[in-house]
Amino acid sequence: MPFRRRTLGVLAAIATAGATLTPLRAQAQEITLWSHWAAEQPKRQFVEEAIRRFQAANPGVTVKTTWYEKNALYAALRTALRAGQGPDVFYAEPDQVEYVQNNFLLDLTQGIDWDKVEPWARQIWTYNGRSYGLPLEAWTVEMYVNTKLLQELGGAVPASLQHTQSEFLELVRKARARNITPISAGVGDRPFTGAFLTHETLLMRLGKEDYGKLLGGQLRWDDPRVVDSLRFVRSLVEARAFPPGVATMQLGQSHTYFHTNPGTAFFPMGSWYTSRAFNPPDQGGQPADFPLGVMRIPLPDNAACPRCRTIAVGGSYVVNARTRHPDAARAFLNAFTTPEMGNLWLESVMVQTGIKADASRIQGARAGYFRQLAASNADAEYFFGIPLQILQGRVRDTFVQVVNNAFISGQASVEDVVRQMNAAQQAR
Amino acid sequence: MTAIDAMAAPMPAVAEERPVWAAVVPFLLPAAVFYLGLTAYPVVRTIWNSFHHVLPAGDDFVGMANYAELWADDTFWRAVRNTLTWALAAPLLEVGIAMLLALALYAKVPGARFLRIAWFTPVLMSYVVVGIIWAWIYNYDWGAVNVLLRTIGLDEWTRPWLGTTDTALPALILVTTWMWTGFNMVVLLAALHSLPSEVMEASELDRCGWGSKLWHVIVPLVRPTILNLLVLSFVGKMKIFDLVWIATKGGPLWSTETVSTYTYKRAFEWSTFDLGYPSAIATVWFVIVMAGVGVLTWALRQRQKLEY
Repeated sequence: MPFRRRTLGVLAAIATAGATLTPLRAQAQEITLWSHWAAEQPKRQFVEEAIRRFQAANPGVTVKTTWYEKNALYAALRTALRAGQGPDVFYAEPDQVEYVQNNFLLDLTQGIDWDKVEPWARQIWTYNGRSYGLPLEAWTVEMYVNTKLLQELGGAVPASLQHTQSEFLELVRKARARNITPISAGVGDRPFTGAFLTHETLLMRLGKEDYGKLLGGQLRWDDPRVVDSLRFVRSLVEARAFPPGVATMQLGQSHTYFHTNPGTAFFPMGSWYTSRAFNPPDQGGQPADFPLGVMRIPLPDNAACPRCRTIAVGGSYVVNARTRHPDAARAFLNAFTTPEMGNLWLESVMVQTGIKADASRIQGARAGYFRQLAASNADAEYFFGIPLQILQGRVRDTFVQVVNNAFISGQASVEDVVRQMNAAQQAR
Repeated sequence: MTAIDAMAAPMPAVAEERPVWAAVVPFLLPAAVFYLGLTAYPVVRTIWNSFHHVLPAGDDFVGMANYAELWADDTFWRAVRNTLTWALAAPLLEVGIAMLLALALYAKVPGARFLRIAWFTPVLMSYVVVGIIWAWIYNYDWGAVNVLLRTIGLDEWTRPWLGTTDTALPALILVTTWMWTGFNMVVLLAALHSLPSEVMEASELDRCGWGSKLWHVIVPLVRPTILNLLVLSFVGKMKIFDLVWIATKGGPLWSTETVSTYTYKRAFEWSTFDLGYPSAIATVWFVIVMAGVGVLTWALRQRQKLEY
């Protein structure tokens, strides 16, 4: 009898260990993934490659993907999550704090290979000490420049990669004198692309701490340093630096406006500029011989933090708190957290990533671009997240309407911006 | 028993007939289920939600808090102003122009058959398509409006029509006018063709001029049709969403924000799952639309019954 009991105990232990160690092989499982990027082939191919690798390493586990455009995805998720019908894994961005606040996201603090993820990227997805998302897409705010046009205006890319504000304003005026629109921008279909110059100027002028206070509502918009920063952007508006149709120009049009027709000298843009510009010209990409340069946003006088710049995490994957396959979902996310996948992202998507990667390994035609991007970001002190990812509710809506749109299209003065943002902060 | 006696004899007992409701219910039930499930319940639920914070974890009663916040919400009142402007201006433009077009067709202008189709066509397109087309037409750099202005030497008149606070709303009102005038025209044309010929002939015998005939005969006779068109147009504009969403998303500076777009933003783009506040907006607006329809109907009611 003791022998029999011992045998049964050993068998039970083996069975338990087997179930624990090989949960993904023991039974067929299907993970559902709802993702943005339906129309962005490089990102889609990257995710499909991760799925292929994951499924090869985990026989019996399949990933069923549904591709969406972002707005359709968000609408579908709102309904599905409320109804308890959400997918196991889905696309999200760090500003969607409502998912965390309503307990829709699985805590990923354990079970993800965080050593392979950039610490700052993990930090952006950390709430109350817990991590909730795997940051795939990361980007910085850059000042793209047509170097040939810049030379024709009598300018040059400085060794510091950064003009002072007065140098920059002078170049803008020279361009206007030659009937060239100096800066391309389009806010017709994006709520943040018109605010790049403004918030990067504010960040450098105030420094990270006070800039954080400004966005957090602890610093008022009538602070003299804020007003100074706004006055610089206003001086650009008054110098007619932006396209007359900036308020309705769409993002894709603003790209073409910069590199093809009519052509501008500067283009403040997220480093995901490449996801459109490096397509063939007949698909909206820049001309093959386009003299692209990467610079920093102009340096304000009396800048508290000259090396400060924004880095933002965009597309990320999170796990539904109600998933029936939490381990498989975590394992699936770990299919992305390898140096190989990090490098694959850089090579194929051409924008930074929250996965640790080595840009110096990139070879080929785009290697030079990544060297420029790395030089622009050398010694940078990063502030995490653009204002749109930090502001909430009424302040966010006011920022979109006033700072992003009306300010650079000349329909709101510095005083208007100060008054409206202060009022929105009081009403938050 | 004579035939008359037989007719006077009592009818068979009513109790033998099937009850009336047994015949009525099968006809009413499908419509009642649809109405109760898809109209009445959502309305009642929306009103209920407006007194709560409605979060995935459950509802939290907040009394009149959502309404108090709404009262102090500048953006809401701006949206109300824009929507009312649209809902009052567009019906007058649409029905007024439609009346002129219908009269032109009624008078059999050359090419009337073609013009009737051409003027009616815009209403066959969805707001999404119309929004995209007109966003192109209004484009600053290559849109038809500005190209035309530059061609005729009016460069200083060019502007981003949808990107400027003082032109964005009028530009959108023009779009809905373009879109719906043809529909109103067809309905009015049908009303004109059904006018009693003896009245029209009598007015001609009385040597009534075109202006007098229009004002004293035609308009009073088609007045019920005009009223219906005005109410339909008013209600449509009070709910307008798609066109704004496609063309301007409520900008610039909320100059084209409508109550519907603001409700949507508060429900789905405000970084919250709470449906209580947007429900309060919807409830208030529901009452205002009902009141508006009531006022419009009362103001344009037929005070004297026409006899002819």
